[in-house]
Amino acid sequence: MVGSSLIPFGHWLQNRTFALAIADSAWAYPFVQATHFSGISLWLGTNFAVDISLLGVGNRRQTPAQLSDALFFWNWLGFALAVLGGFLLFSVSAETFVINPAFLVKLGVLVPAALITHIVIQCKIHTWGQTAQTPAAAKRAGSLEVLLWFCVATAAVLIPYGPLVY
Amino acid sequence: MLLQMADKLQDNSIIIALTSTGWTAAGLAILHYYSMFVLVGSVAIVDLRVIGIIGRHHNVSDFSRRIFPWVWLSLAVNLISGFIMFAGDATAYVPTRAFQFKLGVVLVAIILAVIVQWKIPVWDQSPVLPARAKILGLISLLFWFGAILMGVEVPAISGIG
Repeated sequence: MVGSSLIPFGHWLQNRTFALAIADSAWAYPFVQATHFSGISLWLGTNFAVDISLLGVGNRRQTPAQLSDALFFWNWLGFALAVLGGFLLFSVSAETFVINPAFLVKLGVLVPAALITHIVIQCKIHTWGQTAQTPAAAKRAGSLEVLLWFCVATAAVLIPYGPLVY
Repeated sequence: MLLQMADKLQDNSIIIALTSTGWTAAGLAILHYYSMFVLVGSVAIVDLRVIGIIGRHHNVSDFSRRIFPWVWLSLAVNLISGFIMFAGDATAYVPTRAFQFKLGVVLVAIILAVIVQWKIPVWDQSPVLPARAKILGLISLLFWFGAILMGVEVPAISGIG
């Protein structure tokens, strides 16, 4: 299996003091989960707003570029929180996560693809998003990003259906 | 009486079909999670603008008009998927304190979102947003974070879900 070579690393990680502390605490795990979910909410909410704007919706008084600039900091703050919470959740059960097919597809394929799409959009937004009407390439990129993050959420929900993680 | 209603709901053939099959149950969870992320993220954008720490050079009404349709659409998807998930295990959820508390937090958060959307055109008439608007935006943000926290506390405390 693809992730089986990562089992020793997973074993090492989940036996670190911080990972054991989260696993042993009655209240820490839900707080870490809530941090992960709050970060994703901020990340996806701000992504979604810009992607929809790239489709040409709601741009009467604000161009996609202006919206993207206004949300930029909070967008990446959400990402940082999602990664921090996600890493801590992963470290609690790392040994089982590294052999979970849905987790491997999520982190190895879908998240990188969605992240690259997001970065391309942010690099191109000042070209694509100067006016209310956006070019076809911008519409395609916005739709693709919404779809890819939906696929990421799908893979995440399917994680417990693989080898038991919980 | 509530438990009897829960029992009937749980025995409904459509609910059983939707919640007992692997793929439909997973589909409901995917819709519930994705809509929750879009919902909370969208409300957060408006609340942060009302508080005054996001897009200060942009008109607050413009943010509200652009974002709120997605808030209500994602809330509708979230409530429908959440209700079906609840219905599949209703007799276990109904007496659970953590679940009751979660519903209370979500209800207050929704009411706060309605008030924020309703008040924005009034607040926007003054050159600077009033302090009470910022306080309301902050409280709304905290309640939506609380809704997420309670969402993960239900399975953590009760083992349901």
